[in-house]
Amino acid sequence: MRQILASRRIERVVVLGANGTMGFGSAALFTMAVPEVTFLARTKEKADEGLAAAIKQVRSPTVATHSKTGDYENDLVSAVTDADLVFEALTEDFAIKKDILDKVEAARRDDSIVATVTSGLSINSLCEGRSDSFRKNFLGLHFFNPPNVIVGTELVAGDDTDPDVVDFVDAFSQLRLGREMVRTFDTPAFAGNRVGFKVMNECAQLAGEIGPLLADKLVGPYTGRAMTPLATVDLVGWDIHRAIVDNVYENTNDEAHETNKLPDFMAKLMEKGVLGNKSGGGFFKKDGKTRLVLDPTTGDYTPDSDIELPELGYIDEVAALHRDGRYREGMQVFLAAEGEHAKIARGVIAGYIAYAFNRVGEVTESIDGIDRIMGMGFNAAPPSVLVDTIGARGVVEMIGEAGLGVPPVLAEAAKTGEPERFFNHARINIGRFFVAG
Amino acid sequence: MAAGSEVYVLGGYQTDFARNWTKENKHFSALMRESVRSALEACEIAPEEIESAHVGNFAAELYCMQGHLGAFFTEVDPAFSGLPTGRHEAACASGSIALLAASAEIEAGRYDLQAVVGIEQMKTVSADVGGSYLGTAAWYELEAEGVEFPFPKLFGRLGDEYDKRYGLKDEYLAEISKINYANAKLNPNAQTRTWYMNKEHALCRTDDNPAVGGRIRIADCSQVTDGAVTLFLASRDYAEKWAKGTGRKLSEIPRIKGWGHNTARLKFADKVAESANDQYVLPHVRSTITSAMERAGIEGVGGIDGIETHDCFTTSEYMAIDHFGITAPGESWKAVEEGWLEIDGKHPINPSGGLIGAGHPVGATGCRQVLDAHLQVTGQAGAYQVEGAKNFQTLNIGGSGTTSVSFVVGVD
Repeated sequence: MRQILASRRIERVVVLGANGTMGFGSAALFTMAVPEVTFLARTKEKADEGLAAAIKQVRSPTVATHSKTGDYENDLVSAVTDADLVFEALTEDFAIKKDILDKVEAARRDDSIVATVTSGLSINSLCEGRSDSFRKNFLGLHFFNPPNVIVGTELVAGDDTDPDVVDFVDAFSQLRLGREMVRTFDTPAFAGNRVGFKVMNECAQLAGEIGPLLADKLVGPYTGRAMTPLATVDLVGWDIHRAIVDNVYENTNDEAHETNKLPDFMAKLMEKGVLGNKSGGGFFKKDGKTRLVLDPTTGDYTPDSDIELPELGYIDEVAALHRDGRYREGMQVFLAAEGEHAKIARGVIAGYIAYAFNRVGEVTESIDGIDRIMGMGFNAAPPSVLVDTIGARGVVEMIGEAGLGVPPVLAEAAKTGEPERFFNHARINIGRFFVAG
Repeated sequence: MAAGSEVYVLGGYQTDFARNWTKENKHFSALMRESVRSALEACEIAPEEIESAHVGNFAAELYCMQGHLGAFFTEVDPAFSGLPTGRHEAACASGSIALLAASAEIEAGRYDLQAVVGIEQMKTVSADVGGSYLGTAAWYELEAEGVEFPFPKLFGRLGDEYDKRYGLKDEYLAEISKINYANAKLNPNAQTRTWYMNKEHALCRTDDNPAVGGRIRIADCSQVTDGAVTLFLASRDYAEKWAKGTGRKLSEIPRIKGWGHNTARLKFADKVAESANDQYVLPHVRSTITSAMERAGIEGVGGIDGIETHDCFTTSEYMAIDHFGITAPGESWKAVEEGWLEIDGKHPINPSGGLIGAGHPVGATGCRQVLDAHLQVTGQAGAYQVEGAKNFQTLNIGGSGTTSVSFVVGVD
């Protein structure tokens, strides 16, 4: 890999849309690896704001010593002409991205790499009709937010992307930016968001039936995630969540199609300005020290202490085993837990595992890519880790209980015991995914 | 080391040093269990095979309100109940002292297979309370009581001593920090692998890189880390059996070829006074390094392909450079300037990221260094592999240069 890295040099990077969260976060990351990064935005003031935000994000004034700022009108042509890597991070709107990429195409050198941070727009469509050299040097480089913290990164080649360029960006991102790289196919929402937001949306649908507090408790940290699903939707923002699930719902038609449909109550509340944490609240909000919980039917909020939850002793039992590092035993308790609520929780986890295994060949070449992006991009237990921890037979039981189709590879593993293990990264700690909360 | 008493390092397992076990709501027992069980799986060793266990830990009584850590080992698997176990403490060198004890028992022929666990959970308390706990590795009443962050100050004085004797520019310390952080980006279990760092930041003299002890700034410091490392040491008899059973060649299994161990006087001022007329600032550390080389039959640092040293602060790595003999005494700056310390340099130091980049769970560090040495000489270090490494040397230091232990780990 070091040889591949040495095959070309990246001295100058231009970040377009450098005032946005992904723009300034990515730009900060690049300043650690290359001598010069140019922050560009609609106005120089906006680009300066991006630079200030980058400095704040990584808490280092030295970001500025590697950086320049400018605007599209005055500075794009010269900056892009000089750049070895052009990184596009404008808003997730095809027309806006197309427009700026037109300008990039007119100004770039034939040998420069052009990457987009899009989280789900088609790479092939974004470079359709462009020159050979553009298409050969264009790819998706999808950092997750915030890029300086989350290392999981998707690398998406188009049909015409030069394999050497893909290999180089992969090596550069791993060795110079410390990224965990996952290659995905050019499909809606790629791998991480396709699988990850399906689970979050299913929990949002569940919240409409049983309330957000119970839904988040059932699919909580004990099931293998650092942050509960609905708290994550609030953090990401309901608008972003909607953009991703709508994109998947409209452009795919898989066996779990309806789980990607945004719940009606979310659409209605969004019309009233509910967007999650950025609007002051979503499924949850804070009132001083009190945590308030949304009533999806009325849009009102109730203190969590006023909401009576059913008896969920099994969750405490699982958490106690996780606390002692007995993850397999913990997940066996989950598997055997009785009652309708444990069954609901198992249904969501079974759906996650089955959906992930069924996407192999569609979004990534193997389950390994989905595993690593779920682990390093979402901080959630990779599907293979869950299979290894619960056991293939147990997982097949769960999938059957949920009334879902069993992916053939899991059916085979349950029958034959082969492969003995699905997750084969000896140096990645699987215990980190099972939080004893 | 006498013929027939070789000590083999079969392998082991490191927990991810970026993890915060308190945030995961995990007990100390989980840290021990995960490390040991994962090591057993990684090395394909059945729990019933383990004959004895040594635990290296500095201060679980303070950080976790938990003592009797040898006994905790027996909690990991029912097969461990009844095993002879013990706990070893020598401040930041605790892990190495546990390894020394285990290897001595193998050399003596008492046991054929030993587990050694280095372990520390430190993120249970605030930075200032933790800093005070670390002060107990010095003479607490005389050097640490009432002092905020005593250890950065002690190792700041090490830099000052170099400055006084030979001259020392901070830019060399900043370069050491930069290299460790850059190497950590290549290590999937390094604590700082996502952190922002460059040489300018390490040289930055603003609140973003505040001074914590004389010339020592945050970028010069190792980390507060939760982590555990388990290693398996074996006799030749067991190593032969294990090699056969797992499809390996005996010659590919690393051995502890040499070791060194010295303990200097506890107070930093006494150490410096003792070395006033010596060309080395910490002569006992130098002795530890050279005696490990001699026992390994290696004439000097030219026979060592890479080093995992104790960079609790940039000044301690600066000290290690000349004490290993990479430069003449007082000329460590030359190695920095020439780029010798980088992974592909003439004398790679801390390809893992060291204590600054990879992290420093105090009692686990000595074991982590030996595990990284094992990974290097077996070609398993991945992105931070030193090409063709056959012999790696460690240096683990407890206190202000007080207890020092060094191992040469290699294959033939």
